[in-house]
Amino acid sequence: MPSDVKDVRALLVHGARDEARRDGSRTIEAEHVLLALAATRTTPAARMLAEAGLTEDAIRAALDREWEQGLAVAGIAIRIGLLPMATPDHGRDPHIGESTKLMFKRAMEAPPKIGAGRIGPTRILVGLLDTDRSRVARALQVAGVDRAALRAKAAAALAQGVR
Amino acid sequence: MTELVDPEDPAAGLAAVVALRRLADRLEDSQVEQAMRAGWSWSEVAEVLGITRQAVHKKHARRLVAAGVALRRR
Repeated sequence: MPSDVKDVRALLVHGARDEARRDGSRTIEAEHVLLALAATRTTPAARMLAEAGLTEDAIRAALDREWEQGLAVAGIAIRIGLLPMATPDHGRDPHIGESTKLMFKRAMEAPPKIGAGRIGPTRILVGLLDTDRSRVARALQVAGVDRAALRAKAAAALAQGVR
Repeated sequence: MTELVDPEDPAAGLAAVVALRRLADRLEDSQVEQAMRAGWSWSEVAEVLGITRQAVHKKHARRLVAAGVALRRR
């Protein structure tokens, strides 16, 4: 994926939609956006994620472990990798989930102020990391990633004009 | 048997709710597919799930047709 895309929001949503379909989800959630962001590889945001150990594979593994931990709280001990698979619905058009709406809201609020439609991957990363209540936050905790430090790094880059 | 959730930690209990919904969704998708591949009818699947035939058809038919599953008419 090229890094000189003027507005990667559409590309991200496209990638996140594919992730949601693959996940069997009826909604595009923040974790799908995170995976799509990591998949951009050459963007500053993807590089910051990779430097924190968050490659696509690492994020998928962390999300599975977060899922396992959630089930364990309910007394269910299973390995996600051993769950029966369903054929994904490639014709499904998942709509934007609540966690993605919150992510966009937080991304838009991060300084510096932006004009309409000028939202880049770094800003999206800040929006993704700006909460400790989301599934993304729990997965990062499982992965041993310092979410606050990564958020501060992304916010500093954004403040310096990195898109 | 220990307590299901820690009463001091609602965050863990709430995260468990999400994890259970994800598990139920994965199981429904995979097991409906499994049943239809085994030649079950929509009515039979619907009766086990406790929902209408129309509901299970609406939710799964397109995906299973695309997956190449030979579906029975009823």
